[in-house]
Amino acid sequence: MTQYVLIFLAGAAGSFHCVGMCGGFACALGGDPRGPAVTLFRHLAYNLGRVMSYCFLGAVVGYLGVLLVGHGEEGAPASLAQRTLAVVSGLLMVLIGLQFFGFFRRLGPGLAGIGGELLVPALRDLLKTSGIAAPLAFGVLNGFLPCPLVYAFAAQAAGSGDPASGFLIMAAFGLGTFPAMLMMGGIGIWWRHGFRRPAVQTIPIHAQTARGAVLRSGWREQGMRVAGGFIVLLGLITLARGVLPMTSHVHGL
Amino acid sequence: MSTAATCSHCWLPIGRLGQAREVNGETLRFCCYGCCLAYQVHHGEKEEPEAAYLLIRLGVGGFLAMNIMLFSLLLYSGTLGEADEWLAGPIHWLLWILATPLLVILGGPFMGGAWRAAQQGRVTTDTLVSIGALAAYGYSACQVVLGSGVVYFDTATMILILFTLGRYLEAQGRVRAARSLAPMLAAERAEVRTVIDGKDTTQAVSALQPGAVVRILPGERIPVDGIVLEGRSHCDEAILTGQIEGQPKSPGARILAGSINGTGALLIRVTSAGTNTYWVRISRLVREALARKSLTGDMVDRAAAVFIPLVLLLAAGSLWFWSARIPFDQALLTALAVLVVACPCSLGLAAPLAITLGIGQAAQRGILIRGGGVLEKLARVRAIAFDKTGTLTEGKPELVTIIADDATENEVLQRAVALALASEHPLARTIAHERARWRSAIPVASEVQAHPGLGITGNIDGEYCVMGSRAFMASLGWTIGQELMKAGTEGNTLVYVGWRGRAHGLIALSDPTLPEATAVIAALRARGLDTLLLSGDRERVVARVAGALNIAHWQSELVPEAKVQALQEWTKRRGPIVMVGDGLNDGPVLSVASVGIAVGGATDLARESSDVTLPAGALKSLPWLLELAARVRRSILANLAWALGYNTIALSLAVAGMLQPVIAAGLMAGSSLLVVVRSLRAHHGSNAGGIRRESGADAVYPSGI
Repeated sequence: MTQYVLIFLAGAAGSFHCVGMCGGFACALGGDPRGPAVTLFRHLAYNLGRVMSYCFLGAVVGYLGVLLVGHGEEGAPASLAQRTLAVVSGLLMVLIGLQFFGFFRRLGPGLAGIGGELLVPALRDLLKTSGIAAPLAFGVLNGFLPCPLVYAFAAQAAGSGDPASGFLIMAAFGLGTFPAMLMMGGIGIWWRHGFRRPAVQTIPIHAQTARGAVLRSGWREQGMRVAGGFIVLLGLITLARGVLPMTSHVHGL
Repeated sequence: MSTAATCSHCWLPIGRLGQAREVNGETLRFCCYGCCLAYQVHHGEKEEPEAAYLLIRLGVGGFLAMNIMLFSLLLYSGTLGEADEWLAGPIHWLLWILATPLLVILGGPFMGGAWRAAQQGRVTTDTLVSIGALAAYGYSACQVVLGSGVVYFDTATMILILFTLGRYLEAQGRVRAARSLAPMLAAERAEVRTVIDGKDTTQAVSALQPGAVVRILPGERIPVDGIVLEGRSHCDEAILTGQIEGQPKSPGARILAGSINGTGALLIRVTSAGTNTYWVRISRLVREALARKSLTGDMVDRAAAVFIPLVLLLAAGSLWFWSARIPFDQALLTALAVLVVACPCSLGLAAPLAITLGIGQAAQRGILIRGGGVLEKLARVRAIAFDKTGTLTEGKPELVTIIADDATENEVLQRAVALALASEHPLARTIAHERARWRSAIPVASEVQAHPGLGITGNIDGEYCVMGSRAFMASLGWTIGQELMKAGTEGNTLVYVGWRGRAHGLIALSDPTLPEATAVIAALRARGLDTLLLSGDRERVVARVAGALNIAHWQSELVPEAKVQALQEWTKRRGPIVMVGDGLNDGPVLSVASVGIAVGGATDLARESSDVTLPAGALKSLPWLLELAARVRRSILANLAWALGYNTIALSLAVAGMLQPVIAAGLMAGSSLLVVVRSLRAHHGSNAGGIRRESGADAVYPSGI
C-alpha cells in the first residue's frame, strides 16, 4: 500500500510536468456552451480516457513481465529472471528520475519520436472537434503520448511482474495527475471567461497566457524535481527488490 | 525574462534543456519535446473532418477495448481465485455490454464496406473482418445468455482495433495528399484587377471572359493568358518553359498565366477564359493524373484477394466437416478459430506500418512523401529521368569566360557592366555582378535603349556601344572577328560586346551544374538505374550537361507536352520510371511518371503534382531515398511472407480442430505483434546505419521501453 501512496504522490508532483503539455490540452478543451455540468463531463471524460490508457499500459507491461519471468510464488524467493527484471526496471526508473534534475538529457528519442510523429496530427484533429466523444478519444490517445513519467511507471509496472500490480501502479499514478489536470481545465475556462474578450478566440494563446500567468517557472521546476525525486526513490526500491538477498522486508513495498 | 529565452509553447524559460525545431517554416524553441508536440497539435492546419471522425471512433473504441482487454486479462490470468468464481458471470455480462457499442463503433465501417463489396459480388478484407468479429461476438453473446463456457469478446475487439488502426494510418496518408493539393486548386480562385471604363475593380479569375482588360502590377503572378496592351516588363516564365532568362514583354507580346511579372506594370487584354488558361489546364491535367493514382499500397490487396476467399471457404468447410462429427457448438468454435487465426491483421498492419515508418524517416531529412504507394513504386523503378534547369543545375547563370578581340578584357567588361547596370534582364544582372571586381569607377551609360530579345545599346563616354546576341550584331551590320567566332564556348549562352562598328569581345555565361550532381548520377547508375535528361533548353546546352554528368540519354527542346510523351515512351520501353523536376513545365511530366520527385525551390505546381518533395539542396538524398524505398519494400515483403507462412500453419491447426479460438486469437495477436516488432527493428537498424539526425530535434526522453 505504501508503494501506491508514493506513486500517487509522485503522480501529483509530476503534474507540474504535465501542465507543460497535457495541461495545455486540458485548457484547450475548454468549456461547453451548454453549461458547467457538460463542461465538467468533458473534462472528466478526457481525464478518464487518459488514466484508462495508463492503466491499460500498466496491465499490459505487467503481463509482459509475467510472460518474461513467470509467476512468483507467494513467499518464495524471487527467481533470477525476476530479480534481473526488477534491477533493469529499477535502473531505468532511476535514469528517468535523474533526467528531471537535468542529467542524461542526450539520450536518443527512440520510441518517443515514433509515437509523437504518429499521434500529433491525430490529436490536432480531435482538439478542434466538438461533441462528447471527442474528449474521451482525445484522452485515450493523449495517454499514449511519449512522456517520461509514463515511461518511468510503466517500467515499474513491468518490474512488478503481475498485470494486477501493473494496473494498480499506473492507476495510482494516473489518479495522482487527475486533480492538477482537472484544475488546469478549470483555469483555462476561468481565464477565458474572466479576462479575455470573446472576440479573441485563439484557444492556444489562452492556454499559454493562463499558464504563464498562474504558474511561475520556479514552481514548475521545483515540482518536477520533487517528481524526479519520487521516481528515483521508487526506482531504488524496485532495484532493491532485485539486488537484496532477502525478499521479506521489502515485500510490503 | 527575455522573449528569446522562453519556450514557444508554454512561455516558460527554456534553460539548458531547450531544443529548436522548425514548425511551418519558422524556427521555434521549446523547453521540452512535450511542448514541441503540443505546439504542433495546436498550430497545425485543420485536417479533413473524415480523419477526425475516424479518430474519435478509434479513441472511444480504444477506451472500450482497453476495458474489455483488462477484464479479459482478469479472467485469463487466473487472478480470480476459487472464492471469486462467481464473478465470472457478471464479468461476462459486463464484457458484452462493453463489446456491443464497440462492435457498432469500430465494426460499423467494416460491415458497411463488406456489404457494399458483397453487392458488387466481391469479398474483401472487410468481409473477413466483419464475419470474424460478428461470429466471435455472436457466439460469445449466446454463451453469456446460456451462462456457460468461455467468451471471445476480446477476440472480436482485437480484430476490430488492429484493423481500424491500420485504416487510420492509411487515412493519414490520404488526408496529407488532399491537403497539399489545396494551393493548386487556388489557381482558379485567384483574384485579378480588371479595368472597366477606366476604373480598376477586383474580379475572380474564373469569371474572366476573353476581351477583358486586366492590370498586373510589378512582381505579381499573372493569372491570365493574354496580349500586352500597354507597358513594358520582363516576365519570368521559367516555371512554364524552363527558360531562365526573363522574357521581354512589350505591347503586342503574348503573356501566359503562371508567369511572374518583372518590374513594369502591364495592361493585358485577356485572350482565353479564366477557367481555360494554360496554367489552369496544366493544373487540371495534374489533378486528373493524381486522381488516378492509388495512394495506398496494392501489394496487400493482391495478396488478400487470393487469401480471403480461401479462408472463407476453409471456415465454411471446417464447419460443415466437423458439424457432422462433433456437437455443433464445438464445430462452430473450430470454424471461428479458422476465421480468427486467418484474419490477416498482420497483413493489414505490415504495409501501413512499414510505409509510415519509411515516410517518417524520410521526413527527418525533410523529404515529403505523399501516400503509401509511392515508396512501393519507388522500389520498383527501372530508370530515372531528370529535368535540367534548377534540378541538376543552379538555375542561375554564371559568368564563364570573357574573350576580347582587338581590345583588353577589362575594356570589354567595363562597357558590358556599364550597359548591364541599366538593365533588369537576368543575364545583364549576372554581368552587372562583375562590378564587384572593379576597383576604378564604372562609366555611366547614357541614352540606354533596350532591344527586347536582342540586346541593349547606349552611349559610354560619348561612344555608341552595343551588347547582345550574335543576331543583334548581324542586324546592325557589325562584324564579329574570326577569333570570337571560333571561340570554344560550346553549350554556353554568348553575349557579344561591341563598339566602333564591330564586336570587340564576348562574354560566355552558363548555368553551372550542381556540385553534387555528378556523384548522385554515378550512385544512381551504380544502383542499375538507366538515366535520362529531358529538357526544354537548346540542344547544345543539354548535350554539354548530359556529357558532363555522364547521363546516358538526353532529349532537348521539349515543351511540357513533349516531355510527357517522351517519358511515356520511355516507360513503355524500360518500365517504371522516376521523374525529377522543379518547374511548372515539369508538372504534367511529374504526374505521369511512375514516381514524380520535385526538388527544393520547386514551384507550387511541381510540388502538388509530385509524389515526393526534396528540400533545397537535397538532390544528394536521392540515392538514399531509393535505398529507403527498397528497404521498406523488403520489409513489407518479408512481413507478408512471414505472416502468410505463420497464418498457413496456424490455419492448418485450426482446420484440424486443434485450436481453440482463444489460442487462435493469441496466435493472431502474436503474429501482429511480431510484424510490429519486425518493422520497428528494421526501422531502428536503418537508423543506426548512419542517418544524420538534427541535434536540435532530439527528443530528450530515453528509449527505455
